[in-house]
Amino acid sequence: MSDSDSEQEQRLTLEDLEYSDAEMLSGDEDDPMDIFTTQKVTINNEPALKRLHDQIALPTDIPWSETQSITSTQPVSVADPDDDLNREVAFYNQALEAAVLGRERIRKEGGVFERPGDYFAEMIKSDEHMAKIRQKLLDENASIQASERAKAQRELKKFGKKVQTEKRLEREKAKAEALEKINVLKKKRQGNDSSANADDEFDVALASDDEEMRAYKTTGRNGNKGKKRSASSTPESRGKRLKKDQKFGFGGKKRHAKSNTADSSADVSAFNVKRNKSTSFKAGHKATKTAAKKRPGKARRQSGGGRK
Amino acid sequence: MATVFKQQKTKRDKAEGIVANDAEEKAIFKNKQRVLLLSSRGITFRHRHLLSDLGNLLPHTKKDAKLDSKSKLHIINELADLNNCNNCIFFEVRKRQDLYMWVSKTPNGPSMKFHIQNIHTMEELKMTGNCLKGSRHILSFDKNFESSPHWMLMKELFTQVFGIPKTSRRIKPFIDHVISFSIVDNRVWFRNYQITQKPVEHRSATDTTDLTLVEIGPRFVMNPIRTFDGSFGGQTAFENPEFVSPNVARAKVRNAKAGRYKDRMEALAKRDQKMKDAVLPDDPLSEKNVFA
Repeated sequence: MSDSDSEQEQRLTLEDLEYSDAEMLSGDEDDPMDIFTTQKVTINNEPALKRLHDQIALPTDIPWSETQSITSTQPVSVADPDDDLNREVAFYNQALEAAVLGRERIRKEGGVFERPGDYFAEMIKSDEHMAKIRQKLLDENASIQASERAKAQRELKKFGKKVQTEKRLEREKAKAEALEKINVLKKKRQGNDSSANADDEFDVALASDDEEMRAYKTTGRNGNKGKKRSASSTPESRGKRLKKDQKFGFGGKKRHAKSNTADSSADVSAFNVKRNKSTSFKAGHKATKTAAKKRPGKARRQSGGGRK
Repeated sequence: MATVFKQQKTKRDKAEGIVANDAEEKAIFKNKQRVLLLSSRGITFRHRHLLSDLGNLLPHTKKDAKLDSKSKLHIINELADLNNCNNCIFFEVRKRQDLYMWVSKTPNGPSMKFHIQNIHTMEELKMTGNCLKGSRHILSFDKNFESSPHWMLMKELFTQVFGIPKTSRRIKPFIDHVISFSIVDNRVWFRNYQITQKPVEHRSATDTTDLTLVEIGPRFVMNPIRTFDGSFGGQTAFENPEFVSPNVARAKVRNAKAGRYKDRMEALAKRDQKMKDAVLPDDPLSEKNVFA
């Protein structure tokens, strides 16, 4: 009997717990046997911890260089422990502050802090290992540079074609201009003197006399004076081409262009009442041929009339 | 010869009226710490490398053979005594997966058990720093170590175990690295940095000092589990309420998976039962009853 009593004392019964706690701790509601629960008591025996601390503590009057331990001035607080970057930055800052303060204290106590450049001793990581690390860093840099170069090349290719065609056109234009200048000189040579003076030909600068070039262009190769010859074509000058396009090109009606339609038959705009009433074989009337403008022949008309 | 010199000295001192100060000389405290490094059987490569890294970093350590038993840990106290060590770091590996680290002051001092996670050893190529083997480092503690008694005890323990005493034989003269302990998320984060000086031309406007740190490694996270009164045993003085054993964590995951299957099967069974139960009563006007 006493045993069961002591057992009951150890375990907290439902009556001891508050109603809300009982709900939380009772777990499975379907299982009615699970109403006796034990509460987990975590231990934080502060006086014992303090006693242990005093028991093992080093005396406080020993010089600092015995332990070389520094406590940071600010507690480290990281908002999100999974945020690697900020967490590592916080640790870095704590250690850096400790290094700076440590250096001061060492110097105050008269110790040596920096390692001189010519002090060679065994290091924690072997030289081969450091060589591997260095190689890895170099490889990383090289791969980054290679990928950047490849990207730049790809961009260049896109514009390379454009630049290429531009350059080609430029070169052809320059060539054409040079040839024209040579022709001009040939003409001038023929006109001026027949004495073949080899030296003179090469003395003349080809790029001189732009005025002449302009004049030559405007007079035309056949010496056709007065006609202004422009480099570009105008719709009038392309009359023949346009006509041919219309006849043989695509789109549009060509077959029955001159056949009568209902509209064209009903069109009496060419009918002049006055002429109709007046025209008869009377004296003093002129031939109707002059009334209308003299039309060119069929062939002329069909070929677009040529240049005007 | 020493005694003869002392005799002459005492004679001369007595003559000049100077009182011997032997007691004062004897009271000069010498911080003597030696750490025994041990592991249990079943240790994996990563944990083994971590142990050897600690051995390289701390010149006042002594490595010993693997311990067979995981239950009778009190024999470590005797082993430490044999090796003249007054501290011990013991790596207990369970299931070849979980690493538990015991830090203890043998023979009667307090001991602490931690669960180690996120281990990165010095071998990793991302850690580019290097330092002298055996140089005494600066220990950097977070201010959070002064917030509770159990943190303070932990700090004292780390100072004595991870701090290199001046009397150690294998030490080198200069200071070129700093070991830092920080408390984040109720865990202790361990970092080891090399201290370098930046030449003047490389300094940028935001730098407050000419020192820079490069990580050497290793790096790990300690999750405190319990603090014991004695070495590898005794009464629990502190227990971490937030600690979840890795076994329990794995079991939870597995149960969650199993739970999904179980729920699905139960739902199917319930549905079958429902379909069986949901039978309409006989309608007197149905074809079966009218044209019986």
